[in-house]
Amino acid sequence: MENRYEKIEFLGEGQFATVYKAKDIETDNIVAVKKIKLGTREEAQDGINRTALREIKLLQELDHENLIGLLDVFGHMSNVSLVFDFMDTDLEVIIKDNTIILTTANIKSYTLQTLRGLEYLHLNWILHRDLKPNNLLVDSKGVLKIGDFGLAKMYGSPNRINTHQVVTRWYRAPELLFGAKQYGTCIDIWAVGCILAELLLRLPLFPGESDLDQLTKIFGVFGNPTEENWPGIKTLSDYIEFKPFPIIPLKSIFTAAGDDLLEVIESMLTLNPVARKSCSECLKMPFFSNKPAPTVGSKLPLPQSIRKIAEIERPSLKRKLLESAEGGTLSKRLFV
Amino acid sequence: MKEVIDVMELQREKARRAAIIDYRKMDFMGGFSPALFVFECGKKLNGQPLTLATAAVILHRFFKEMDHSNYDPYLIASSALYLAGKVKDDPLKIRDIINVAHNTLHRGSTPLEIGEEYWNMRDGIVQAELLIMRALKFEVGTIHPHKYMLHYFKSMEGWLGKDVWDNIPIAKLATCFLQDLHLDPAVLDYSPQHIAVASISLALQCYGVQLPLMEDLDDEAWYSVFVKDLQKDKHWEIMEKIMEVFSKETGH
Repeated sequence: MENRYEKIEFLGEGQFATVYKAKDIETDNIVAVKKIKLGTREEAQDGINRTALREIKLLQELDHENLIGLLDVFGHMSNVSLVFDFMDTDLEVIIKDNTIILTTANIKSYTLQTLRGLEYLHLNWILHRDLKPNNLLVDSKGVLKIGDFGLAKMYGSPNRINTHQVVTRWYRAPELLFGAKQYGTCIDIWAVGCILAELLLRLPLFPGESDLDQLTKIFGVFGNPTEENWPGIKTLSDYIEFKPFPIIPLKSIFTAAGDDLLEVIESMLTLNPVARKSCSECLKMPFFSNKPAPTVGSKLPLPQSIRKIAEIERPSLKRKLLESAEGGTLSKRLFV
Repeated sequence: MKEVIDVMELQREKARRAAIIDYRKMDFMGGFSPALFVFECGKKLNGQPLTLATAAVILHRFFKEMDHSNYDPYLIASSALYLAGKVKDDPLKIRDIINVAHNTLHRGSTPLEIGEEYWNMRDGIVQAELLIMRALKFEVGTIHPHKYMLHYFKSMEGWLGKDVWDNIPIAKLATCFLQDLHLDPAVLDYSPQHIAVASISLALQCYGVQLPLMEDLDDEAWYSVFVKDLQKDKHWEIMEKIMEVFSKETGH
């Protein structure tokens, strides 16, 4: 680590990087330093990691309150390290923490912040392509920031072929599952719809075990797509016919959600990507201006571990420990 | 029409000469030689035009920071191509880059066997990549003139009329000029909008094309609808830079 950043503690380890919490001794700010692994000889011979490069390139050009800020990049020997805003927790932890009650106002606040960040991203011709609760980071002031741009990509070139193997399966839009190679901002909206549903249910809406199972779960709620409600669907390369499913009204899944909220979910989780609403359109929907008003950041609930730190100022437990301690009993009910 | 023939002839002549360039005997020429190498290799590697433009910009920015006599310019050029492929999501395989670069430097030689020389070259490219990233302070994103140019083309198509636009290859020539300017570090010195306008201006002049409805406006330049902040002398300066590159190219 460069001298400017004083390591505080180890935060976690991913496939490509190790993350540390550190103090920037020039500004006294707490930051997260992500050290890109150049571990094996094999990888080193391919040079700079593509994922890291994407994050560097895209984040340097972006600046929005609801997007993770890339504060600095430095290289030492054969390493590259990225310095980010330090974020205390993420939506996955919040969703799984059954001591937290997520009211409509809380959910509205998280969804609004996500959509604002995503709207800015889309206006800058960037697709995130990996939205899921654990990539929506939250700090102790209740500010939500979209993180992990390792799969993000510029979009808009009509002749560009993309891979459909993006987005964690549970949040993957139906067109991706059918093998679409040309797609747009609508794949991110689908993911936001799934996340919004998960905030209500406290469980993933479509926890598919395979790509086929994923589609089965989706159609099990919305019914089968047809040429009428999704023109051109049969031309997608991996299209297959499913046995007919009845449509389940959203009202019976989200029993405690108001009509204005159901309307948002329905607009985001529209099977036909062309008919799916954009970020800007979603933000204009009545739900976001109706009462209750979104919870202000400082009043948003925080996981126990973070609250404890705030109270007694003790270094936090490792995230991994936290997760294993929580286990499986999750409330399926919606608390409003 | 005289200019038309001249330009075509020069281009043809250039093509004939390009085939026999021996990079090993060329001087650095202010970055011209490695940039030409970038475009020749990039073309053979089937890289997208924007990928090659990115590689050229990376190359020029590197040598702006570093003394060129300390580095092998063709190694840096190869590495710039490799890095640009990653930056633009237009992956160029390192094995291909090594083969193409080697064959372009040593024309007619057989592909490198997997052996010491191959591994040295591979290590060199990978290490240079990180060195370049650091020299560029990790700022590898580039705003290209190409996208502005495309928008200007779109407007000009209507302005000139489809007939003129389809019969006179203004767009094609302007695009060539834009690429030519990427052979020179001067490409870093001007805004992408200005470069796009100057490239188009030069093409218009080569074909002697006047934009309609501009005759009565002596003070107003044709491009003032596109850019407001381009002074006449700067406009000329960029066009001169392009022509200078042209003479370097043919002069060699």
